[in-house]
Amino acid sequence: MSSTEKAKAPLYFGWYVCAATVFIAFVTTGARSSFGIFIIPLEEEFGWSRFMLSSAVGTGFLVNGLTQPFVGRLFDQFSGRTVIMVGLIIAGLATASLSLTFNYLFLFFVFGILLSTAMSGASVTNTMALLAKWFHRRRSTVLGINVAGASLGGLTLVPFGMFLLQATSWRVTWAALGLIILALALPMVYFFIRNDPADMGLQPDGDTEEPTPANKLERKRGPIEVEKWSESFRSWPMWQISAAYTVCGITTGMIAAHFVPYAIGEGLSGTLAALAFGVMMALNVVGGLGAGFLGDRFGRKNLLAAVYVLRGIAFIFLLLFPGATGVWIFALLAGFSWIASVPLTTSLTADVYGLRALATISGISFLCHQVGSFVSILAAGLLFDITGSYALPFAIGGALLFPAAIAAFSVRERKYSARYQTPLSTAAAAGD
Amino acid sequence: MPASVFSFILAHQGDAADPELLRWIKVQLDHIFGSGPWAVIAIMGFIILAIPIFVGAVYLMQANRRTAADTIDSEPIQQDGQEQERVP
Repeated sequence: MSSTEKAKAPLYFGWYVCAATVFIAFVTTGARSSFGIFIIPLEEEFGWSRFMLSSAVGTGFLVNGLTQPFVGRLFDQFSGRTVIMVGLIIAGLATASLSLTFNYLFLFFVFGILLSTAMSGASVTNTMALLAKWFHRRRSTVLGINVAGASLGGLTLVPFGMFLLQATSWRVTWAALGLIILALALPMVYFFIRNDPADMGLQPDGDTEEPTPANKLERKRGPIEVEKWSESFRSWPMWQISAAYTVCGITTGMIAAHFVPYAIGEGLSGTLAALAFGVMMALNVVGGLGAGFLGDRFGRKNLLAAVYVLRGIAFIFLLLFPGATGVWIFALLAGFSWIASVPLTTSLTADVYGLRALATISGISFLCHQVGSFVSILAAGLLFDITGSYALPFAIGGALLFPAAIAAFSVRERKYSARYQTPLSTAAAAGD
Repeated sequence: MPASVFSFILAHQGDAADPELLRWIKVQLDHIFGSGPWAVIAIMGFIILAIPIFVGAVYLMQANRRTAADTIDSEPIQQDGQEQERVP
């Protein structure tokens, strides 16, 4: 194709799919993250304790992790588009129905169970599995864009909800958030989400060359690609990736829950501690985009290992430099690495195990991540209660990041990843 | 400790639910836009609406361009066909 023809060629439909998944992540994450703004109004109106509200959120967190592999299986077995669409419809209706909250059990069921299960359908884990089908060469880049959308959603919809709540009421705000999902995200899925480029007569990445038997083989198969999710457990990369991702969950969960109290304990004001946390969250957009972009140029596993090392170094600074210095250095370093692991982990999983069971396999890794988060949050709180300091839990979390980096680094990407296969090497590796 | 559990919200799928952070964001936005909430609602609402509208607009523009290109591409074939009909 000449450069003039290329310039005139219509935009590859995969980019619309990407835009739609970014918007889904944007609104669903934003709506869910907004729960924090409802805490005080609900406490005031119903007299519920902070613990009761925390329990609903904590349950939702676990339900989201536990249902992800099962919803992922539905995604792989049937139609990803349908799973995402049904997930969004239920999520939108559940969010809107929270405006009718009249009883704690209602809130617990709708937010903790229904919404969290529905969110598994429209989750980043599923949309990344979908995008992996549309993009092969730029896979990591688009997955980075997708997770950045989730972060931006938190940064946009939370203030939106906060001011809407101030101007109207918590009931109107919840109804509005549900309406945004139903009226804006759902049409995006309807018009722009398709399961596979082949369904539209297209090829991944918008390639226009006719597939020949040779380039078909070269593009599609890695030596340990699986048809069923259970087969992935018979090879090392699944264990290495999931183990590293569990540590990722341990460290991000611990920090998300305890960073602000820790910073206040180090002498920062509440506002400054929150600002440091906010800077960290804003930087994760840059980190996600950057990791995705670099992952397509330099491979996934080395970069993934580097992300964990960077976060480990951040923990060292946090522990070695008491006070504001350590907190700010940590916020900067950890901010870049916060969600950078997500596009790299999913890209690596897709490259090694293929696309047929990707949503299920990624769902299992995500479950490991969530369990790690949950355990670490409770353990860090418990250790704080016993020792009166966060030094021990943070030291344990930081120390775990280095074995996680080794686990990621030791994945034999060149041997197992479809990116590095030629028809000859595929046959040779399969015969190992 | 249990109170802090709610603030861990979905590490990797949306964070930023810490009440201190929310308070700080609100103060900063109040400072920028004044104390009226509707200005912030309008701006944030515009951003939220703009994304799907922009994507839809790009798609429609591309679709129009594709239709135009298809029309131009198909014209010579029709002319050839007409010429062939005239020959006998």
